[in-house]
Amino acid sequence: MFWKRKPAAPPPAPAADNSLLVDVRRLSKIYNEGKENEVRALDDISLAVPWGEFLCILGQSGSGKSTLMNILGCLDIPTYGTYYLDGQAVSELPPSTLSAIRNREIGFIFQGFNLIPALTALENVELPLIYRGMPIGERRALAKDALEAVGLGKRMTHRPAEMSGGQQQRVAIARAVAAKPPIIMADEPTGNLDSGSGREIMEQLTALNRQGTSIILITHDNKLAEMARRIVTISDGHIISDRAGKGAVQ
Amino acid sequence: MNFTQTFSMAIKSVLSNKIRSLLTMLGIIIGVATVIILVASAQAEQKYTRLQLEAMGANRIQVGCDTNNRRLEDEIIEYCKNQVGKTLSAFGQYMYAWDLTLKYRSKEMSMDSGGSGYFVEGDYSAATGRYISIGRDLTDADNRNQSRVCVIGDAVRKYFFGAMSPLNQSIKINGQSFTVVGVYSPLYGGKLNTDDQIICIPVSLQQRVMNYYYYSSPNFAMTAIDRKSSDKFCEDIKARFEQRFNDSNGYFYAESIGQAQDQMEQEQNKESAKTAGIAAISLLVGGIGIMNIMLVTVTERTREIGIRMAIGARKRDIISQFLIESAVISCMGGLIGIFFGFIGSAIWGNMMFGSMVNSPWMPVVDTFLVTPSFGLVVGAFLFSALLGVLFGLYPANKAASMQPVDALRTQ
Repeated sequence: MFWKRKPAAPPPAPAADNSLLVDVRRLSKIYNEGKENEVRALDDISLAVPWGEFLCILGQSGSGKSTLMNILGCLDIPTYGTYYLDGQAVSELPPSTLSAIRNREIGFIFQGFNLIPALTALENVELPLIYRGMPIGERRALAKDALEAVGLGKRMTHRPAEMSGGQQQRVAIARAVAAKPPIIMADEPTGNLDSGSGREIMEQLTALNRQGTSIILITHDNKLAEMARRIVTISDGHIISDRAGKGAVQ
Repeated sequence: MNFTQTFSMAIKSVLSNKIRSLLTMLGIIIGVATVIILVASAQAEQKYTRLQLEAMGANRIQVGCDTNNRRLEDEIIEYCKNQVGKTLSAFGQYMYAWDLTLKYRSKEMSMDSGGSGYFVEGDYSAATGRYISIGRDLTDADNRNQSRVCVIGDAVRKYFFGAMSPLNQSIKINGQSFTVVGVYSPLYGGKLNTDDQIICIPVSLQQRVMNYYYYSSPNFAMTAIDRKSSDKFCEDIKARFEQRFNDSNGYFYAESIGQAQDQMEQEQNKESAKTAGIAAISLLVGGIGIMNIMLVTVTERTREIGIRMAIGARKRDIISQFLIESAVISCMGGLIGIFFGFIGSAIWGNMMFGSMVNSPWMPVVDTFLVTPSFGLVVGAFLFSALLGVLFGLYPANKAASMQPVDALRTQ
């Protein structure tokens, strides 16, 4: 009686491949599941990104690209599916390990800069290093180097409110790169900037990628996306195209 | 993230919003100051009474009786006199002198305001723990001969004679001339408002001094050799006479100062614990105020919390940040409260002890500065720190249990 037969065991999940930076399998993020106002922000997405990639996730607003970045950046958890970051299944990790991953492996650059208003530029850049437990001399030197690298050597004691948007975003970049994390995730980093400042930011990201940092860039801007090596387009929670960008040509 | 980092960030955050922080601290400030003032003045009061009792002699015994049975009284006097050298070290009798007015040349002093006059007999001075500083004490011979002599307290000497020698000066007591033969040394060197405004006259002169004469039961002044024999004496004399006084429609009591002191201190301790407890309620209210404002702070800084989480703050980093912040607020409040507690207890204490000075001739109690004890200050500080941590727990935990993505999304 076939209907009573036990269903065949599902094939074992292929072993995690740690040559891949990001390995996402059948990932879904569903809000209010089963209710009338159910939203499928991400629907059954699979994506593999090797180390050293400059990936752009392109999509209109509401396409689910920010949700994807939040999950990739260990800020949010998927409803279904598995996510391997450097071969580790993220959903199985305890919150403290996730904090450590965010602290050591990933540098975030947000659209809204997300600097802490009460702290100076230098203190903002130092903050992730403080959470890492780095002694003061070392972290101050790293933070200063990072600020100088983004051209803000003379602005270290300024608070975010005393700086222009472009300068604030450069502080945010300095904060993201100060500890030299292997991955940078940038969510619309030029969204609040004029085209000149935006280009500068993009050049800095490209330079970082050349030095070996993996970069995941989220944007809705086709032109910007072309600067990446690989462009994944998302719409309505699905990947609709995955192609090489002009960055690959260089 | 290390403690000093978190600590300096907490200080910065508290200082960045001075008015709000101060208002939040206000509850703790008022609570701590109130507790300190109340407990400090209760402790001072206790100390003051203890000193006063000690001035009367720690081994003093108070015996009082009231009856029309003169024979019974005489029996008691006889009994007490026989005990001198056994359980007692000194025994004397005295009667209050009402409406005494002293006069020396143009100066006048009414003993009714704050002072006391006594007609004495026997070893009154030794029995009440007084010592002669100049001249001599009254003697049995003075009593027998009805000598017009008196011994005065130091406050009386100061007022009438100042730097002059009081000995053999003649003063008028209710119009009658008396010669000063001795001066009592001041109790505590005159630093406390005690019975230094005093005059003692031989009991045989009572009729000459008082405008009217009435017989009142004599008061007994006696001092035991030590604490143990004072208790023993009380037991013995009660066993012997109490029943007979009851039978004669009178009353009788015998109590050692030591016992009274113990009892009083117990009661005072209970009382001050009660008031401190009530004051501690205001501390509790202060703690709730801190919790309230910390909850507001957490809500206001949700985005900051999100940023911190995104760049790698662990749950315990967030918890310790807010816990330390609320502890800093409450500790600052505690310190300010301790400061005001010091000032307040000095002022309040002076008012309290100032009001005990009810005679214009007594020295003002200026050396009795009321200050909170070290233990009280440390206790108040630790308690306010504890309050900060306790009432910071809920807001801190609320901050730390947010999802990073939700916190970041908040504007």
